Amino acid sequence: MLMPAFELHKPVSIEEAVALARDLIDSGQEFDWVSGGTDLIPNYKWHINTKPHVISLAGIEEMKSLSMTEIGAGVKLSQLEVSDEIHPLLKTAAGKVASSLIRKSATLGGNICLDTRCFWYNQSEDWRRSIEWCHKADCGTGADCRVIPNQNTLCVATYQGDMAASLISLGAMITLVGPDGIREMPIEDFFELDGMKKNVLQKGEFVCKVTFSEEVSKRVGAYKKLRVRETWDFPEAGSAASWIPGDLSSLRIGTTGIESIPRSHCKEIEQHANWNDEDSIFELSQAVQKSVKAVNNTILSPRYRKAMVSVLTRRAIEEII
Amino acid sequence: MSGGYKQQPGSGGNTVRKDGKRVAGKLKFQPPGAGGSNPKMKERDLDFIPESVGGKEPQPAGSHVHDRLRTGTVVGKEVALVDANPKVIGKAEYGDDVRLGGEIIGKILRSPHHYAKIKSIDTSKVEALPGVIAVATGADAPKTFGVLPVTKDEHAMAIEKVRHMGDLVACVAAVDEETALHALNLFEVEYEILDAEFDPRKGIEDVDEPIHWRGKYHVGNTNIQKRVFQEFGDRSLVESPAASSSRKWRFEGVHHGFTEPHAVVAEWDATGRLQLYTPQQVPHYTHRALSTVLDVPMHQINVIRTFVGGGFGGKSDPFPHEMCAAILARKAGRPVRITFDREEVYWINRGRHPSYIEVKIDADEQGRVAGFDIDALIDGGAFASFGHVTSYYNGVLATSPYELGSFHYTGARVWTNKPASGAMRGHGAVNTRCAVEVGMDEIAEQLAVDPIDLRLANLLPPHCRTITGFRITSNGMREALTKVREGSDWDNKFRKLPLGKGIGIGCGFFISGSGLPIHWDPNRFPHATVHIQIDMDGGVTVHTGAADIGQGSTTAVAQVVSEVLALPLDMIHVRSHESDTSPVDLGSYSSRVTFMNCNAAIRAAMEIREQLLNAAWEMTGYHPTTLVLNDRRIYYKHDPAIGVSYLEALHKAQEDVGALIARGAYRSPPMGGVHKGAAAGLAPAYSFSAYVAEVDVDVETGIVKCTNVWAAHDCGKALNPLSVRGQIIGSCHMGLGQVLSEKMVYGRTGHLQNANLLQYQIPSVHEMPHVTPIIVESSDPEGPFGAKEAGEGPLLPILPAVVNAVYDAIGVRPNTLPLTPDQMWSDIQKKMKELKIKDPRKLESPRLEHGNLQPVLEQRAEEHRIRDGKRQRTEDTSAYVNGALFGFDPNIPMEDQVEGWRSATEPEPEKLAELGIAGKAWLKQEQRKMGGDN
Ligand SMILES: Cc1cc2nc3c(=O)[nH]c(=O)nc-3n(C[C@H](O)[C@H](O)[C@H](O)COP(=O)(O)OP(=O)(O)OC[C@H]3O[C@@H](n4cnc5c(N)ncnc54)[C@H](O)[C@@H]3O)c2cc1C
Ligand code: SF4
Repeated sequence: MLMPAFELHKPVSIEEAVALARDLIDSGQEFDWVSGGTDLIPNYKWHINTKPHVISLAGIEEMKSLSMTEIGAGVKLSQLEVSDEIHPLLKTAAGKVASSLIRKSATLGGNICLDTRCFWYNQSEDWRRSIEWCHKADCGTGADCRVIPNQNTLCVATYQGDMAASLISLGAMITLVGPDGIREMPIEDFFELDGMKKNVLQKGEFVCKVTFSEEVSKRVGAYKKLRVRETWDFPEAGSAASWIPGDLSSLRIGTTGIESIPRSHCKEIEQHANWNDEDSIFELSQAVQKSVKAVNNTILSPRYRKAMVSVLTRRAIEEII
Repeated sequence: MSGGYKQQPGSGGNTVRKDGKRVAGKLKFQPPGAGGSNPKMKERDLDFIPESVGGKEPQPAGSHVHDRLRTGTVVGKEVALVDANPKVIGKAEYGDDVRLGGEIIGKILRSPHHYAKIKSIDTSKVEALPGVIAVATGADAPKTFGVLPVTKDEHAMAIEKVRHMGDLVACVAAVDEETALHALNLFEVEYEILDAEFDPRKGIEDVDEPIHWRGKYHVGNTNIQKRVFQEFGDRSLVESPAASSSRKWRFEGVHHGFTEPHAVVAEWDATGRLQLYTPQQVPHYTHRALSTVLDVPMHQINVIRTFVGGGFGGKSDPFPHEMCAAILARKAGRPVRITFDREEVYWINRGRHPSYIEVKIDADEQGRVAGFDIDALIDGGAFASFGHVTSYYNGVLATSPYELGSFHYTGARVWTNKPASGAMRGHGAVNTRCAVEVGMDEIAEQLAVDPIDLRLANLLPPHCRTITGFRITSNGMREALTKVREGSDWDNKFRKLPLGKGIGIGCGFFISGSGLPIHWDPNRFPHATVHIQIDMDGGVTVHTGAADIGQGSTTAVAQVVSEVLALPLDMIHVRSHESDTSPVDLGSYSSRVTFMNCNAAIRAAMEIREQLLNAAWEMTGYHPTTLVLNDRRIYYKHDPAIGVSYLEALHKAQEDVGALIARGAYRSPPMGGVHKGAAAGLAPAYSFSAYVAEVDVDVETGIVKCTNVWAAHDCGKALNPLSVRGQIIGSCHMGLGQVLSEKMVYGRTGHLQNANLLQYQIPSVHEMPHVTPIIVESSDPEGPFGAKEAGEGPLLPILPAVVNAVYDAIGVRPNTLPLTPDQMWSDIQKKMKELKIKDPRKLESPRLEHGNLQPVLEQRAEEHRIRDGKRQRTEDTSAYVNGALFGFDPNIPMEDQVEGWRSATEPEPEKLAELGIAGKAWLKQEQRKMGGDN
């Protein structure tokens, strides 16, 4: 595998990054952001949707804040997994991502913005050529989706970022910066149900941090990850739950690794507001499971992955009560 | 002997003067040449000299012919591999590390189709690209090759058809990788796409366009590459069994997963000879194939084996890319290097065959195994590779360690449009072994007996013949079983653990070298030859063709020479990389190297030893029978002061003749039956192993975690216990991959979906259980110092041990491997439906209440223990042939005393309908019998 050539830009401030992006957009040039590169670079080596320019966010100090209420997008997962300044749930969740070696480069921002995955797509160029490409990287052929054929509009590649589930369950807000300024939103609103678009980021816009309200420190949380091996493997399903002990209504659940976006499960919780015993927790977990759909594009079967959502959710809740 | 004896007489050896300056002793030759810096001789290490020759090393399995050669130097001691240092400090040169002046980069154009005719290839645009130096297509090398002489079905590049996605179509060499990769896009190939087949079960049906055509030997119009039928023994025994287990298995294909991807460098040197650098397990076959394909005599080719970054069977075929590099280099007049991407490693594959295996076991009311019925359909992918042999191994390697009333095997290997399967650690034996051992557990359950006792009461003894005629010599099976039973506290755990926790047993049996060299007449040429050469400096150069692929063969060869000559290991220099200097050797497969090469090396070393002893005799006046070799000295056994140094004896021996040169060879003794296929599975010795595994099964998620393994392996004699333990632990890891998570996933379009190391899930360190390796030494009479193999056999038992432990944990007996969480989960769901329960946490784990047969088996096992001990120590040398347990006389051929005793290699026509899926291959006729012959 040979890395395709691209021009690497290395801004040292948010302002400079925005300016660089604006210039490239103005001159009609395509580009990608990169932070740790542990997702982007493997995809580039496979020649998947490569761009002539890459802007690295790794050198921006402003994006490396670390506290209970604010974590910069540029913070490495290896820092999170040992940090006592952040919420313990994030510390545990970070430690479950990829491998210790990868976590030394991987960032929180990159994890949130992780490209969606599919076993028709995360393949070498020769491989993809031999299936005559797919919709998400069609190389100008107008190829169809290989998972749900004959529709040609939607990509259902799976979002397999780990951190999103825990961030959702802790009620994180996400801050985006771009040529049109700054905006902030609940993290679950950041994602868009489309394996290609993935999230609300506009051209030139990037994630600069996630923040939490003060009450986050009162929350107790747990994250359950389904994977074949206890290292390397992406979540085949993941469920995080947190609450303020004693306050049933404070429960928040986030799931990941099933669909093209991670999900927040406020609606299911509302419908099972009285989740205070074994049976009701079981029912709530079942409801969470029913609310998600899995497709056949990762290593484990979709039927199984979906079924596990209930088990993981129940176990996460059981751990925190 | 506190100070020890000086290496040299007089004032010899290094001395240190008062002023600190070192001076050499008054010697004809300077002391460093005597070996090592220690001028004093070490005392004889009696702990490592066998009792039979006056040492203290216990010999419970009896004495050995090589005992008299033991010097207590290195055999049986833990030594680091002699080539460890270059590897650890990064100096070892693997395939892709070779850099030759002026080299260019080769890349291979691969088929994007599973099956297609090549209508045309236009290379003009490639040739026109600046930077491209050479281009080649199939037309440049039309001759076929293949690892087995009977099935040469590969080309350097496709000739008329491509047979799997990734098959080689053309190749190009350019000034750099980027140009070469770019050039690949400029080939214009016109294909006519053919209907591809991925399901091996369809392989026995007639098709329009079989993947290969074997002329008059082609079976119908099918994709059957090889079919096997074997029926031995008394089939009446299975007519009314007391217990019967019948299971249909599915095993996914697995890959070796070695670290180093294939790489090759070829250069035609200034004299016009081809120098080919390749990480090969079997350089000799590459040598032969190159000669054929390139039309160049073998002596004009030098195959240089680089360091090999893991092989496990995956680097033992001669490969098309090796041919491509040579062809491109010849055209370019410059060295060409080709290195694979990981994906290409999966395209060339040669991993374990995806298989459908059915095993039926019947037992009689005395708990004897009345019959094994095995049907194995194996998916060969697009080429034959080792498949001819694999087709046999899937059956015949199940004929031991248990004594069988009858044995029935039907096997078929079919071609499909997938990357070719081949040989992988435990070649051909692993899948059936798993099925057999799980079947034995089910039989034990039906008979209400302990599965270990069931096994102990049915073992073949040492020195016997199996039902199909294999000659078994040493046999440590009983000891292995006994040791893992004790080590694991089996009796307190089996069928007694809570839900989700389980313990299971599995045994293994494997060849220690294959009895037949496949390229030449075994009665004329040896399997292995070793040359030893010693010049005046005293360093010992050993030439062998044994390919060290990380398993430690170089160390083993160095060790035995060191032992016989009583020289420190660092005086032995093994040269094994070049075909120009190495004697012909069959290479590293079928676990033959230690057995065959070390035997050859011992013979060569004995010749040198004799010359040294004779020289010492001349110098001291003491007859060789009264002389002892110990740490660079040869002396009178009753007075170590009377003697000579190694160097003195050596120089004496060299007078008039110069360097000492000796040669040793190994050839296996005549053995085995005469029926068709009798040679398959025949080996001069066999290894035995027994493992107990403990697992945790999460009943809700189906995740299986193996927590503990007690692994006993009979390697005859551990020449280097450190290596043996390493092989056992490594085998556990590899086998665990196959049982828990590894599989080559072919999707609905026939594409391999996981040709990378993220999704081809090799267990990580987190999945590794705690392994307690237990070495069993049965001292093989023909093995070097008693040694047998330890590289492949130890893989076998881990699979069934885990599967049986899963049953013990949750009462579910899977029959599809690997036990990935989703697979396990659906097995659990099925069981829940059967039991009509909703919550998997309500499952019950099985319990055992011993039945009436238990004491009967225990008693028989005890009698057999005594029998086996006597046979092992050769206190009892009577004949023993499979069938004796059923009351037959081992001294009379079974056919003569048992009416209906079968010994057949073709089915009876009236019984064709009863055969399993592979057996159905016999419903077809060969072309020559159908009147077709082209
Ligand atoms: C073998 C292997 C195993 C892995 N296992 C896991 C796993 O178990 N769980 C898991 O979650 N991930 C896993 N990953 C993926 C990846 O390593 C992590 O998700 C990591 O956190 C990504 O961060 P990064 O900084 O390296 O991202 P990058 O590769 O730098 O970027 C990832 C994507 O996000 C975009 N991006 C990066 N930063 C920003 C930003 N600030 N704003 C907007 N867009 C941005 C990039 O353009 C790119 O599209 C694995 C990767 C590998 C190679
Ligand atoms: S889901 Fe469909 S479009 Fe998306 S990556 Fe997979 S095959 Fe391509």
